[in-house]
Order: sequence, then structure tokens, then C-alpha cells
Amino acid sequence: MPSSRFPIPQGTLDMLILQILSLEPAHGYGIAQRLQQISRSVIQLNQGSLYPALHRLEQKKWLKSEWRQSETGREAKFYSLTPAGRKQLAVEKQSWAELSRAVRLIFNESN
Amino acid sequence: MKKLLNWFRRRHLERDLDRELKYHVDRRVSDLVLSGLSESEARRQANLELGGVTLVREEVRDVWLTRWLRDFVYDLRFSARSFLRSPSFTATAVLSLALGIGATTAIYSLVDQVVLRALPVDHPERLVLIDWNGEQLAETLGSDNLMSYAICRDLQQQKEFFDGVFCRAATTINLSTGGEPRLNAAELVSGTYFSVLGVRPALGRLLTIDDDQIPGSSPVVVLSYDFWKNQFGSAQDVVGRKVLVNQHAMTVVGVAAPAFHGIDVGEVPSLWIPAVMSAQAIPGFNTMLDRRTRWVQILGRLKQNASWAQAQAGLQPWFKAMLDEDTRRTKVSRVSAERRRQFLASTLRLTPAPQGHSILRHDLSRPLWVLFVVTALLLVLACLNVAGLFLARGSARQREISTRLALGASGGRVGRQLLADGVLLAFAGGLLGVVMAPITVRALIAFLPRSIAANDLQANVDTRLLLFAFLVSLATGFLAGAAPALQAGRKSLVSSLRERAGTAFGGLSLRRAIVTAQIAFTLILVIAAGLFVRTLSGLLAKGPGFDTSSLIWFGIRPTQNGYSPADANRLIRRIHDEIRSSTSTQSSAVANFPLLVGGAWNNPLTIQSTERLTTDRDVHLNAVTPGFFATLGTRIVRGRDFDEHDSLPVNEGGQRVVIVNEAFVKRYFGGRDPLGAHVGMGSGPNVKADTEIIGVVEDISYRSVRERWEQAYFPIGAQYFGSIFYVRFQGTAESAFAAMRAILRNADPTLPIASFRTLDEQVNRSLNTERMLAALSSSFGTLALLLSLVGLYAVMSFVVTQRTREIGVRLALGATRLSAVWLVLRDALVMIAAGTAIALPCVWVLGRLVETHLYDIKPTDPVAILMATLVLCSTGLCAALIPAHRAVGRNERCA
Repeated sequence: MPSSRFPIPQGTLDMLILQILSLEPAHGYGIAQRLQQISRSVIQLNQGSLYPALHRLEQKKWLKSEWRQSETGREAKFYSLTPAGRKQLAVEKQSWAELSRAVRLIFNESN
Repeated sequence: MKKLLNWFRRRHLERDLDRELKYHVDRRVSDLVLSGLSESEARRQANLELGGVTLVREEVRDVWLTRWLRDFVYDLRFSARSFLRSPSFTATAVLSLALGIGATTAIYSLVDQVVLRALPVDHPERLVLIDWNGEQLAETLGSDNLMSYAICRDLQQQKEFFDGVFCRAATTINLSTGGEPRLNAAELVSGTYFSVLGVRPALGRLLTIDDDQIPGSSPVVVLSYDFWKNQFGSAQDVVGRKVLVNQHAMTVVGVAAPAFHGIDVGEVPSLWIPAVMSAQAIPGFNTMLDRRTRWVQILGRLKQNASWAQAQAGLQPWFKAMLDEDTRRTKVSRVSAERRRQFLASTLRLTPAPQGHSILRHDLSRPLWVLFVVTALLLVLACLNVAGLFLARGSARQREISTRLALGASGGRVGRQLLADGVLLAFAGGLLGVVMAPITVRALIAFLPRSIAANDLQANVDTRLLLFAFLVSLATGFLAGAAPALQAGRKSLVSSLRERAGTAFGGLSLRRAIVTAQIAFTLILVIAAGLFVRTLSGLLAKGPGFDTSSLIWFGIRPTQNGYSPADANRLIRRIHDEIRSSTSTQSSAVANFPLLVGGAWNNPLTIQSTERLTTDRDVHLNAVTPGFFATLGTRIVRGRDFDEHDSLPVNEGGQRVVIVNEAFVKRYFGGRDPLGAHVGMGSGPNVKADTEIIGVVEDISYRSVRERWEQAYFPIGAQYFGSIFYVRFQGTAESAFAAMRAILRNADPTLPIASFRTLDEQVNRSLNTERMLAALSSSFGTLALLLSLVGLYAVMSFVVTQRTREIGVRLALGATRLSAVWLVLRDALVMIAAGTAIALPCVWVLGRLVETHLYDIKPTDPVAILMATLVLCSTGLCAALIPAHRAVGRNERCA
């Protein structure tokens, strides 16, 4: 596995997927690309782990999926957020904010 | 659960995933190609980025269905396929598990219903039974845990420990709801009954404390839901209707909640009547408020945080004070000092009663638990057997398992496969068992004593029972699958590959020991079956001592219909006259007490002949009309029968006479002539022995067929009353029944008939326990026999597989077929002999436990033991012969 950039932190992939899908529905490939773009290629995603994550989130009923025509004209499986998923995203954002604030505090303290 | 659903739509899911991944790869490839890579290079890189499509697919599958579960489903599917390939093995295993699980589930169903299930009321765990521990110096009406109604009212004031106290008494009333009068079970209850239990009405209102104030003042009843549904067709306007309870009009005020069937699982009442109406509900009972009459069971609801032990200790001071006060009352002061001391030493006893109060439970809980343990043991045997069968099959599957191990399957993986085998079989067995269980329960319930009050036992499969069967099946599956699984897991690859070379298999001696124990257990059960069957057939052959064919009996209760004793006597005389003149009657008689119903009128007698003596135990008494013995076909061996003259009062020229039976003469007169001697009722110096013995009759069965007891008969007439009719009829029983019914209807259409039965049927009923024991022990014996035969067969097959090579060599070296078969059979014989050797001393010890249930044979009855041993040995040898024969046959073919 090529790894020169950041590996994605454990457990954050779900949150990032939810965040991306909160903007608009997307298919797996689209999500992978969007992740690269938005993070300006800082975050390195193992594309193989994307699909199990998507299916896990779908199983939890945070995502729903449907087959729709993609921009290339072929049918692709589009994922979108369910209301439960939107709620979950808010929760995760919140706890992430708290966590990062706490980490920053600790770093400032030790300076 | 949802994940399991995914298993069923996995084909759809797979197709979707394929498309999704293909889309991803294709898009990536076309992007990479645009950025200048060659097609093949782009495809290689796209796959690399994804980390391999197969791996992704596998990971996504894990999301759908957790890995171990998915594997387990595959295991189950594999197991199912391999079972279908060997149907005879599967059938044997499933059937033995089904029998074990079915029997256990059935018995558990009864244990649950009779012993364990709490009443469907609020917080049943806070209910306690309040009971008198010691001498009460009281008249008794009813049985078990009785106290006086006055004490119940006292206890209601003990608010420190109880949220409430109520009392109840079960009784039978003559109830008329418009149509023909019928005997019905009723519960006389204190006004607090429903409120303390926390039962709600389905319609109208329930009884309250206001309904239970002044004797005779509250003619109201509450109907049970089922009675209302069946008898009144769920009529909404039933509240306010009048019903006749023993000819007393009472008003229906409400219907109880559907789930509530009273507090006694063995006696479900049709209606509830306030205790103050006891004089109307029980004719002749007028000592309701008397402190020296005990006739109710008292239950209380403990306060939230009080324990029964605290309450019991806390109540003693009050109880002692009450005893002291009681001794100052006249009746108590008259008794002997000894009994008075016992009275004062009494204590109040509280026992938790979340299941209510039930005589049936009291009688049945121990036998039920014993049955439960026996069935559980049988189930364990079935498990061990199936484990044995697995091992036997395992040795045939050795190659497959070795191959799997060699290909890299872990021991645990192979073990899990075998566990899946066990679980699958157990659930198949469990399913079959659950289907069988209700049939068994129904058969068992049919053996219970039946009276007017129906019992609340059902043969339904409810969720509790399903849960039980499920858990048992699961446990069974693990138990049966675990042994082979452990064996497979433990063995190293090398040893399992070497296995074919003929190393001995571990655990064989353990399995021999198990089969030996099984044979011992089976032999005990089969001997028990033999003993009980011989007891039953002995009793049936003996009979009650008189000819039961063409004989019927029935009883009427005129006093429950408002007749005064004198009127009742006249009515019975008139009915008897009509019966005698009926064309279907050969002869007839009236008695005070029915025969063969389990009870008798007991009292000691004082005998005055050359010396005065008191019988050392109760004599069974009855009062009969002239011709009673002739009707039954009992011979009068000395003296004479009663005549019309004997029934007259003494001052009108009658005299006090009695007829005794041969057992009485034998016990109290030795060889001397009893005629002319006198007896008196009761014991003690004040008894006047003024009744002359005028006859001696043959012994007949009174309480039960097996009993031979001293009996004495008085004439019905001035002193004694009777309303039980015995009629020897001609023609068919049906026509006799019809004729008798017509006579009774003609005499008084509202008269309730207590029983209407042929004596043949009565004999059968009175042998219910014996028949149940015979049936249960036979079925258990057969079950155990089948199971141990399967066990023996499995072990022998196993041994044979192990020794095929050895047998082959022996045959090749010139051993005869017979000696080869003998080689195998000898093994089986050792096990059977060892099992027998263990069982026989056990029979000798355990026999004492069942001795009281046997009739005319000893627990060490040689016939039963010999027959059982023979059956076991012959069937056992057959089971062993099949594999032995096969081994020799196979070797010959190979040669």
C-alpha cells in the first residue's frame, strides 16, 4: 500500500463520508474523489475501505442508496443521507469539535 | 436479526456490489487512461488502489453478515447436506433427541403450570399463605391449611405487616342459571379477596368488603370469565341477573378478568360468593363465625418492604395473646391438659404463596419433580447417544476431516463444523419434540383426578414452553456436538493422519462406561415398569371384591336443593321405591357413602364382648339399606342382613344393629364368634356400646381397590341418612341411565345429580394412579431401552470400525466367522453384564421407595426382574450383532 501522506485517522472515515454526502448525493467513486479534492490530497484514503464503510453506514440506516444515471451516462449507485444520518453527522461533528478543542488545550498547556 | 435476513437476499446484494465495484474500477481506469497511462497499466493501478476487488468484496460481506455467523450458516448448510446423505443415521439421532426433548418439555409444561407459575395478579411475589402450626382444637371442614374465618378478620387488622388479608374456601354448589341445575365449583371468599389480589372486573364490579359484613345479608355473586362466556354466551346484560345457588336467589354483580382463574390451579371456580353466604352455599353449615371451626385458607399480601420471616416473627405476640384469650372460652377449657398444652404451643406459620394455594400442587409437586429429573436424565442419555453416534460417524469421516486439517483448516474450524452438526440435529429434534409435547401433556392431564371443578392445566405450547424447548435444544446440541468437536480439535494433524494405521481412539473406555451406566439405568426403569404393570394387572384381576358388571351408582343432594332432612328422607324413599319397580332394575340399595372414590367415613369403635376394647385404628363405616350386600353380590357369611325393622327408631320398636366384615372379625375377635357382641361409636370411657353385631359380610373394597380394611355397616333410617344409589340393572347401561334419570326428573326436576357412573368405570377411575404409574414407567422404560440400544449400537459400530483390520487378519488366518462375531459380541456382553450387576443392587435399594405403590408383589419380584433382564439382554445383543455381522461381512467381501 503506498503511503506517503496522512493515513485517515481511525473512526473518522464514517464522519467524513457523512459530511460529503450532506452536501449532495454521490456514488462511491465520487466520494473517493471528493475526499481527495477537499482535503487537498493531504488525507490518503485506502479506497478499498470506502465500500465496507458505505455498506456499514447503509446497514445502520444512516445512508440510503439508489441506482441512478451518473455524469458519464452509466448507472451508478448513489448514496444520500437519511434524516438519521444527518442527526448522526451533527453528533459526530460536535464530539469531534470537543475532542479537537481538548487536544488543542492540552497542546497549549504544555507549551 | 436483520443481518440474518441479509443471508436470504445475498444473491441480490452480491450482484449490486459487483456492479458498484465494476463502476468504480471502470471510472478510475478511464481517468487514469486520460492522464496518460496505458489501458492495462491503468487497470493494474486501479486494482492496486482498491486493494484487490476480492478482498473488498469479502470485507463488504462481513458487513452484511458477521463473519462467524456467515461461516456458521455455511457450516449448517454443509451439515444439512451431509445429514441428508445418511438418512438412517439422521433419523436415529433426531428421533432420540426428539423423544428426549419432547418428554422433558412435556413434563416441564406440567411443572411450570402446577408448581412454578405465579398467579396472574399484581405482584404475586408478595402473597403469603398464613397457616396454623400446631393443634387448633377445631372442627374441620375441607382439607389443607385450614383456619377459622374469625382469625381472617383478626388478621385484617394487622396492618403493620400486611397490605391486606383474605380468606377463601372451595366448595361445590347446585347452580341454576335458568336451565337445568348443575353442580358447579364455587369459591367462598372474604370481601377483601379481589382487592388484595388486585384483580379487576371484566364487567360490572367485584366483591368488596361491604359484601362481607353480616351473615346471610349479601346474596351476590361474581362470575368467572370462562363461565360467563360459556354459560351466558358473554351476555353484556348479565349484571343484575338472578341465579339460584342451592335454590337461594343471588344477583350477579360482575365478571372477573379473563386471565384470573382463582387461586387454585387444580380447582377452577365458576363463581365467587361472599363468605357471609356460607350457610346458603354449604347446606347445614352454620358455624361460619365460630372460632373453633376451621374451613378457610388465609392468604395475605405483605407490605412492600416486609419479608415473610419478619412478618411471621412480628405476628407471634399477637397470636399468643389470641391463644390465651381462646383458652378462656368454654369449649377449649373442657379439653384434656395435653391437648391444651399443644394448643398453647401453636405458632403462626407464613409461607410465600406467589402461586396461590393448591392441594393439587401439594400432592403433585414431588412426583412432578421426580418425573422431571427422570426425563432430564433420559435427555442426557439421548445427548450422550447422539454424541456417540457422532463419534462413530466421525471415524467414518476421518478421511474428510484429515483432509480438511491438511488443507489448513484450524482444529477450531473443524470443531465448529461438528458443533453445527450437533446444533442442527438438536433443533430438528427440538422441533419434533415440541410437536410431541402437547400430546404427552394431554395424556398426562387425563390421568389427574377429575372432579366437578375443572383444573386449569392446558396442553398448549406457549412462549415460555417454546423458550424452554429452545434452550434445551441448544444445550442438547452443544452437549451432543461438543464431544466430537473437542476430539477433532484436540487431535493433531499427524495423529489424525496416522489414525488410518489403526491407533486406538481415545475416550473409548469412557464411552463404554457411559453405555454401561445407560444399561443399568434402563434396567432399573424396565424393572420398575414391570413392577407397576404387574401391580395394575394384579389389581384389575382382583377387582373390588364384588361383581361390577351391570352395576351403576349415582348420588343426589336434596339438602342442597332446600330440602329439610325429613323431607329429603321422604324424597329418597319415594325415589328408591320407583327405582325398585322400574323394569330395568334387578336390585337396588342406598348407601351413605360412595365406594371407590378414595374417601370413607372413619371412626374408631368401642367393642364390648367378653371384654371391652377400642379399635386400634379407624374403622371404615357406612350406612346402607337392606339389600345393599345382595345388590353388590357380597355374601353374608354369618348372621343376617338388615331388614325394614332395623331402620325404625329405638322407641318405635327398632333396635341398634351393625354388620361388620370379615377383616373386622379377624382383627378384633380372633377366631371367636362376633354375633351378639356390641359396639359403640367412638373411643373413650363415655362411649355406650349398645349396638349389636347381627351379621358378618365378605370383605369388599371401600376407599380403593387395593385396600383391605375393617368395615362396619349401620342401617339407614332413624340415625343415619343416605343418598347414594346402587342399582344392578338388566339390559344396557344406557337404557338404565335413561330410566334412572327419568325417575329422578320425575321426582324433582331441579335436583342435582352428583355422579352417574357404572361401577366398571368407577374401578378404572380409582386405579388412576396405578395406571398412570404403569403407563409412565412403561413409556420411560421403553424410551430408555431404545436409547440405550442406540447407544450400544453406536459404540459397537465404533469398535467394529476400529477392529476391522484385526478381524480381517483373524479371518485370513483361519478364524471362523462365528469366532469373529463372538469377538465383537463379547465386548457387548461385558457391558450388558456390568450394567445388570450395577442395576440389581440399585433396584433393591430404590424398591423401598415404591413399595407403597405396589400391590401383592415385592420390589424384588423375581418375575419382573427376570423378564426385564431378559428383554434388555436379548435386545442389547441384537443391537450389538448388527455391527458385528457387518464387520465380518465386510471383511469377507474385502478378502
